[in-house]
Amino acid sequence: MGLLPLFVAIPLFSALLLGFIEHKKGIMHTLVMLTTSALVILAFATPLQRGFYFVGGHHPFVGITLMLDPLNRLLLIVVQILVFVASWYSIGYMEQYTAKSRYFSFVFLMLAGMNGIVITADFFNLYVYMEIATIASYALVAYGGKAHELEASFKYLVLGSISSLFILLGIALIYSQTAALNMMVVAQRLDVTNPITWLIITVFAAGFGLKSALFPFHSWLPDAHSSAPAPVSAILSGVLIKVVGIYVLLRFFYNIIGVDQAPLTLIAWLGALSSLVGVLLAMGQHDFKRLLACHSVSQVGYIFIGIGLGTPLGLIGALLHIVNHSAFKSLLFLSAGSVEYATGERNFHSMGGLAKVMPWTNAASFIGFTSIGGVPPLNGFWSKLILIIACVSSGQWILGLIIVVVAIMTLTLFPKIQKYVFLGDLPSKFRNVKESPWSMILPMLVLCFFCIVLGALVVVPVLRETYFLPAVQALLSGKWLGVFQNAP
Amino acid sequence: MIYALCIVLFLLGLYGVLVKKNLIKIIISLAMMNNAINLFFILLAYRKNGVVPILSFLQPNANLYETAVDPLPQALVLTSVVIGLGVTALMVALAIRLYYVYGTFDITKMRKLRG
Amino acid sequence: MVEISIFILLVFMIIGMVFVLEMKNLLSAVVMMGAIDFGLSVIFLLLSAPDLAIVQIAVAVISLVIMIRATIHREIVETPSQESTFSSRVVMLCFLFLFFILIYPAFSLLPIFGEPIFAESASSSMKYLLEGMTQTGSPNIVTAIVLDFRAYDTLGEAIVLFTSVLGAVSVLRYRNRKKPGSST
Repeated sequence: MGLLPLFVAIPLFSALLLGFIEHKKGIMHTLVMLTTSALVILAFATPLQRGFYFVGGHHPFVGITLMLDPLNRLLLIVVQILVFVASWYSIGYMEQYTAKSRYFSFVFLMLAGMNGIVITADFFNLYVYMEIATIASYALVAYGGKAHELEASFKYLVLGSISSLFILLGIALIYSQTAALNMMVVAQRLDVTNPITWLIITVFAAGFGLKSALFPFHSWLPDAHSSAPAPVSAILSGVLIKVVGIYVLLRFFYNIIGVDQAPLTLIAWLGALSSLVGVLLAMGQHDFKRLLACHSVSQVGYIFIGIGLGTPLGLIGALLHIVNHSAFKSLLFLSAGSVEYATGERNFHSMGGLAKVMPWTNAASFIGFTSIGGVPPLNGFWSKLILIIACVSSGQWILGLIIVVVAIMTLTLFPKIQKYVFLGDLPSKFRNVKESPWSMILPMLVLCFFCIVLGALVVVPVLRETYFLPAVQALLSGKWLGVFQNAP
Repeated sequence: MIYALCIVLFLLGLYGVLVKKNLIKIIISLAMMNNAINLFFILLAYRKNGVVPILSFLQPNANLYETAVDPLPQALVLTSVVIGLGVTALMVALAIRLYYVYGTFDITKMRKLRG
Repeated sequence: MVEISIFILLVFMIIGMVFVLEMKNLLSAVVMMGAIDFGLSVIFLLLSAPDLAIVQIAVAVISLVIMIRATIHREIVETPSQESTFSSRVVMLCFLFLFFILIYPAFSLLPIFGEPIFAESASSSMKYLLEGMTQTGSPNIVTAIVLDFRAYDTLGEAIVLFTSVLGAVSVLRYRNRKKPGSST
């Protein structure tokens, strides 16, 4: 368990170090690649059992406890791989912007914040690291400095701060009831029958729902995620909303207050609504990245349906969709970025025929589209299938029907874009367009590989038993009771 | 009753954020929301006639565990006050930059976002 | 006595907040914000939190400086076009009032003011008060928590400040892209 603090320490150290090597490009790129690949290796090297790390050697009652169990191990692996891929891509892509080293500093700060959220077992610590991750993301959204990017960043900042304050209010209420901040101790002491607990649930659901763009609070996401530079959009849509919003809600509902069907049902229905709203919003867009961002709302809705069902199968579907969505949505954002990098254009109605000049990007986005549309051998199919089966088997026919309808709408949406962007005649203004550099294509191919094989996470027994089912089991084991029972 | 007033301050801030159309007003409202939550935290920590959780010559015979107020929320709020300052600084930077682009703090005049 | 003083100060802060919301001149609103922040600092002092009062004053001063820097020499009068329509304001007020009414019963379930829950159970705060001095050597228990027991949070706090300052610097760089003519 001595490895755990490294997940925060390494990116922080690199983020600070990057400030000193602003003008040495070669060293900067080496440092970025070394840091991110080291973190990927570290994530795989973490042990499989649940374990704790006590910061400063203090007893969990008085100090801060870090925790690793199969669920956050899975998320750690996803986060490290995705940030690795996105930073690799950024080396080529961010050439068009100034102050590249500062960009990587923000990415690493965001990574440190996300890792801090995932491994912590302390409510206030969660808040602090959540602020690091989100403040870095506000700065990254405004990174391009164009008017609409600044506006999107401001909007995101206002709504993000409101949600953070709601979460802080929830933490204060929890503290007033339990006089503890450690999640395990809170799980034991929080009286679920007390009406205050309902207030805490409401405040937390509002706060984390805002962070993860659940239905009534989704309006910021399309602006923020489409305004950021492409690799940042990939990180934001791929992992940040899941780590900051969905993961914490999962922990809170399943491990801290214990499963209670009433709020979960509400969440499932909000998820269904946001999946419908997201896909309808996506249908009206002309902007490649904005469409993808709108579509993220609907995929988050899927995940919330799975969470809200509360059955093991629903959770399997939700977790698998978290992993899958981070693979294919990031892939699509990266290929949209590649198209934008080569043509300077994001409105797909004015594109066309790019398949001839950008064959690799074409192939990558084709795999991304088939995967997000749920075509059988690719990963998107498996999670959608499991979610539908879960809905049907728990008797929620309408939810299952909504998933099917949204899946069909998604399936019809994306071939259209593929046609507009890559097929047809090449407009004359794009005659001189060149394929993006290899440093951008290779990361996309890595994500393509994941899109193709991630279905194996449920199909191949070895992977399922080591990586996936323990994570579901960690949630289904219910409230954390009797972990740290005795006060020192 | 004091809790209720504290929440009133919080809701007034929320009202300002949601209704006001001026960047500076929004920033001030958010800072007030943060203040209200910080105050709420400290109110929860107060013990009647509580002493400061500091061992000193001013209160040499104090049995802190019997008389002092709760020190933990103070430590937490210390952190969250500074975080609030950071958020405010970033927001002001964005507001100044937006002013540079549009020549106003009025968000009704900022309509570059499609949607 | 403490309770009444806090009550009066809070009412003052709420009135100040209403003024902030209704003032047309932004500079006055910013100054009013500074006044509210100082009121908060006094409340912290009354609630036996001197460390916090000091930090609050420092933060209030810094944010006042930042905000005045943002508003001075700029168009600082809120024009009527910037106001939401009367009906939307009323709707929002009604909504928030309803929310307040809904959560009002919860206040009676919170620990009574002046009788916090930490004193009754085996809580971490009791542990700090009992052993903070011997374990860390700091007579100030709050400092002991901030710099020893929960130093990891303080690291996070420093990083938040670092991130936001870096963010402000990054936002305020006026040349963002390398291609000429495409910035802003």
